[in-house]
Amino acid sequence: MTLKIVKRLLLGTLLVSPYVIAEEPLSDLDLDLDSLMAMDVQVTSAMKRAQSAFDTASSIYVLTKEQITRSGATSIPEALKMVPGLAVRQLDNNQWAITSRGVASRFSAKLLVMIDGQSFYTPKFAAVYWETLNVPLYDIERIEVIRGQGGLLWGSNASNGVINIITKNSIDTRGVYADVSSGSQINHDANLRYGGDMGNQGSFRVYGHVRDGDESDKGILLEPDDYTEQQSAGARFDFTPNDEWSGLIQGDITQSTLGQNFRGVIDETNRNVPFTDSLDRTDSRIMARVENRISSNANQMLQTSWLKQTGSQTYLQEHFESFDIDYQMNFLYQDLKLDWGLNYRYNDISFAESTFVRSDGGYNTLHQYGALVQGQYSLIADELDIIVGTKVEHNDLTGWENQPLARLVWKPQNNHVLWTSVSKSVRVPSLIEFNDDFTIDGQRVEEVSPITTGIDMIDTYYIRTYLNGNNNVKSEESTSYEFGYRLSQGDWAVDLSVYHTKVSDVLAVEVDANTEQFLPIFALLQQGEIELAMQTLASTSINFDLVSNAELTTNGGDIILTWQPTDTFNAELGYSYNTFDYDLAENTFEAIGYDSTSRQLFAKTDIQLFEDHRLFASLRVENSDAYDTDNYTVLDLTWQWAFHPNWSAAVMGKNLFASSHIEYNNTRETFTLPNYIDESVTFTLTAKF
Amino acid sequence: MLPFLLTTSQSVSAIETEYALKAGFLFNFARYSEWTVTTPALDKFVLCSPDNSFIEVASTVLSNRKVNHLPIVTRTVSITDTDISQCQVLFITSDTINQWLNASLVPLNNIMIVGETEDFIAQGGQIRFFLSGGKVRFEVSPKKLTSANITMSSKVLRLGRVVEQ
Repeated sequence: MTLKIVKRLLLGTLLVSPYVIAEEPLSDLDLDLDSLMAMDVQVTSAMKRAQSAFDTASSIYVLTKEQITRSGATSIPEALKMVPGLAVRQLDNNQWAITSRGVASRFSAKLLVMIDGQSFYTPKFAAVYWETLNVPLYDIERIEVIRGQGGLLWGSNASNGVINIITKNSIDTRGVYADVSSGSQINHDANLRYGGDMGNQGSFRVYGHVRDGDESDKGILLEPDDYTEQQSAGARFDFTPNDEWSGLIQGDITQSTLGQNFRGVIDETNRNVPFTDSLDRTDSRIMARVENRISSNANQMLQTSWLKQTGSQTYLQEHFESFDIDYQMNFLYQDLKLDWGLNYRYNDISFAESTFVRSDGGYNTLHQYGALVQGQYSLIADELDIIVGTKVEHNDLTGWENQPLARLVWKPQNNHVLWTSVSKSVRVPSLIEFNDDFTIDGQRVEEVSPITTGIDMIDTYYIRTYLNGNNNVKSEESTSYEFGYRLSQGDWAVDLSVYHTKVSDVLAVEVDANTEQFLPIFALLQQGEIELAMQTLASTSINFDLVSNAELTTNGGDIILTWQPTDTFNAELGYSYNTFDYDLAENTFEAIGYDSTSRQLFAKTDIQLFEDHRLFASLRVENSDAYDTDNYTVLDLTWQWAFHPNWSAAVMGKNLFASSHIEYNNTRETFTLPNYIDESVTFTLTAKF
Repeated sequence: MLPFLLTTSQSVSAIETEYALKAGFLFNFARYSEWTVTTPALDKFVLCSPDNSFIEVASTVLSNRKVNHLPIVTRTVSITDTDISQCQVLFITSDTINQWLNASLVPLNNIMIVGETEDFIAQGGQIRFFLSGGKVRFEVSPKKLTSANITMSSKVLRLGRVVEQ
């Protein structure tokens, strides 16, 4: 009995690997209806390239739909807090910095985020707008998180990891779902979905979401203003004309007004000024996919998608559109499993000049195209597999990039898996880094000039300072060595992975004080022309240039223990350790992150109490010097009561223990100004018909 | 070269997986259904198919499983009245659909008849498997089940696409 349960739990890991399932003795198949419905028919399966077969050889964590709904999370970032090894730092009530195996940043992510394979990477900032990423949590099938370079084939800019949010087939979401939440930080958050059949050829669902969120209680420099007003609507249609062909179309539009505190150089003081602003954003996405089963051993898939994001605030007006087309084929021939694919992406970026960001121009449209190929071959049947692959991609900024990988998977026994991997990944610069100039907090004359004048007005004058992106910035190249071990024994399971990654051509900032520009000023001063000297000073500037000459070494690992002694209790214990060590050239400093160590201790439990009650708790101890914050421990606790076959109620306590705390304080990062994160309580009522 | 490979390479495991999953579904259909007329009382639960390759997989997947305390027995049958009358569940695979269509049988009661080919419910079945996004799903006609003296739990019906014709 218990063995079956652990199997099911482990399915989290195994599910994503049809290969592993196929290798299992058939007599051990979990015959629970839910499990059967979640399993893929084919060993080859489109859209499984990164998370299946060949990629068991990576550090992967699967957040199940049960965990998502039982945790009471009301947004994707909140759900991601449950993933051991992910750094999820909340800046305020609507902004987030999320990554794995790296230092999380509001901008400049090296993490690829996808919804059903549609990428949300914005080449302008390399940011993911987590605050406007709307996916109905109750209709998520699972979230797959690959820590590190395991998801290379998905694309470039995934050197820290991949998050793929997989939504449910609409055939599994027929009926009415509704929930409404309110609490100390949410005025109201309501969801409604209706789904049904379309004759006997398919199914559909339509949904809507509104959210009205409160401000935090306490800010750092300004009164918090981080409210949220958000409305979303979306739909998904699945077509199954026959067993060989299936298709889906889905879309979502989300309109958000978000209060945020910023800082930027907006006046003649040349200093960063904190200010409160509101951001209006409209995020739309649509995608269509056709899947074809060519034979029982081969699949092909064509997916196309379109993304449109517009954002408007006082000092920034942005517009971004992208169009993707992606073809893949997977097949099995004797002991060889081969996957190949082609992709093309078109980006259209327009960005109004503002007081503090100026573009050098010329990159309003960006094209990206490439191919991937990966083969998995059984050296010893059912025991030892070798995987070799590469993704080759061309982009307009740095040209051709190549991301090769090689892995070995050894399964000495049915319940042991050892894997090892060597891979090279590429992180293409964002436009901000490649092509834009940013006005940043001014430097005082006495800090940069070789001589001081003794005149206060001059010495303490803040000179206009620019951070200059330029086309000498190269792609960052990481080489990663990974090793992992998985064991499933009775009620227990262990998942261990360790890695060593060396990154070259890392982005750094070089200070060019241009001291010669001060000479005429000193000359004027000697002539007693203080007024004129001041005027000349106002026309000087200091340049911080982005350069690609740093090196970064990161080491670390994750271990996760799972225990499920009974049907009604399971627990998970995790520990993650990551160190970041920069090697900088003279006269430069780090652009993103700095020498630091992050440790995370993680405990999670899901207990069914009596017939209708459930308790879900997760505890995180965050110990890190990468974010200029104190260490903190938070407990999220959710109690759910299914008081009627169709109705349930829940109460969630979030950020318990930690009281008011700062999770992210890397103030060097321009433009972000965090608030204190508070404890909160939320009540939810859910109905399903 | 490539299309040739694709159509001739027949890894056993790929087909096995699909049949294993379908055998698992049949087990659940049986578990969550009631055969309202069972005289004489059953001493075993018999799952049949004319397709021997399916029965081989099903016998492995369902070994030592029970339905309502009755042991499951899997059996390869010919599509004849005598053979089929011993079955509680009959699965007609795509490889054996023609045998089914060409047979002339007396009306079959007390047997759950499941298929995987298009229009199978119109061709005398009550349940039909189909694939959606690479996963097994099913269509079911509760009316036809009822007229065969079988009631399926709403827990399972809800997961299927209910068709009435």
